[in-house]
Amino acid sequence: MNSTPRALNRILLGLFGLVLMAAGAATAAAALIPEAARTWRAVSSSAAAGTRSLGVRGGEDWLWILLALIFLLLATLMIIWLAVQGRGRTGDFIKDGGQEPGEAAGTVTITAAAAEQALKVALQDRRDLVNAAVTTWRFRGTSALRIRVYPRQGAAPARVAEEVAGLVEALDVVLGHRAPVLISISAGARARFTHADRVS
Amino acid sequence: MSGTTGSANRVTAHALRRELHASRAVPSVITGILVAAACILLFLEAVLKAVGDPPFLIDLEKVAAALGRLPGLLPASVLVPAGLLVFVLGLVLALAALLPGRRARYAVPNARAAVVVDAEILAATLARRARLAAGVGPEQVLVTVGRRRVEVSVRPTSGIPVDAEAVRWAVEEDLRGTVAEPFPTVQVSIAPSGVIGQ
Repeated sequence: MNSTPRALNRILLGLFGLVLMAAGAATAAAALIPEAARTWRAVSSSAAAGTRSLGVRGGEDWLWILLALIFLLLATLMIIWLAVQGRGRTGDFIKDGGQEPGEAAGTVTITAAAAEQALKVALQDRRDLVNAAVTTWRFRGTSALRIRVYPRQGAAPARVAEEVAGLVEALDVVLGHRAPVLISISAGARARFTHADRVS
Repeated sequence: MSGTTGSANRVTAHALRRELHASRAVPSVITGILVAAACILLFLEAVLKAVGDPPFLIDLEKVAAALGRLPGLLPASVLVPAGLLVFVLGLVLALAALLPGRRARYAVPNARAAVVVDAEILAATLARRARLAAGVGPEQVLVTVGRRRVEVSVRPTSGIPVDAEAVRWAVEEDLRGTVAEPFPTVQVSIAPSGVIGQ
């Protein structure tokens, strides 16, 4: 449900992976094959000569400043990449502005806490669930609910899903709004260690 | 109305796909931290070079020069394992990028919401059903759930035969009532030796 950039993650991981694979293979090859070692030295000396000729043209300080700026840019991009992982929680469930003609001015906001609490209270009374957590996420331009339930051993997942979906439908009727919902039936640590409910 | 239902279905399908596959956030965060740290160090060293101060940890010019002479500088017994190590690290990252990364979860068909169930929960439910069908105790049934196959192994109570076909039918019925297609195939194996029943 979160807005982790999955495609970007895979592209960047693939890119770094390829770079590391190429560097490792080149190092091993240069150590084992004399021809590869010669190529390694030729490439590095030509690179050094190219850098030196650049330095002659603009002064060596200029090259170091350019290098520093490149590393600063890379570090900034990496930190942005780290910052966008796992985000997307939101505090608003519905935010409806009266923009259409004929509607009264102003906005109607139903906070995420309202929807979350309504569902949590309804789920708390169930004997077949150890615990339940409801969170609201920004998903594809709308607010979506993630309901994570931890059933007791022996509770049938199909029935749990059906009944939690029933609660969601009741919430739809109360709020007059059908939000995307994800129900995740999870095996939490607590559910694993508690005994099956024998009286059900 | 059908338009909104269609888009709701697409959103549900999208949520399901995300929930059934790993996001690769963990390798991304580790890689990001390491690359960011390296870039910050290199930035600092480059700035020190630019203003003409002595280097902090590494002298970029010397490192670059040593890198150029690396095949002659270090023996092959050091370079080959180091190169292979770097290659394997790269391979791990590339595989994380390319492999689908399916989580041990299953989609549950539902008209209103996207529903997923952990494999552990599904296995516990199927084990319960298999136990009832076989008429044995909870310790005599072991269920392993995979993406394509569900393996049920039953140790019968001594002297009371277990009908494998009945167990398979019961587990299959439960599976079809819980997860979305494609259904995994159910395999039931009955242990040749029985145990003292509970």
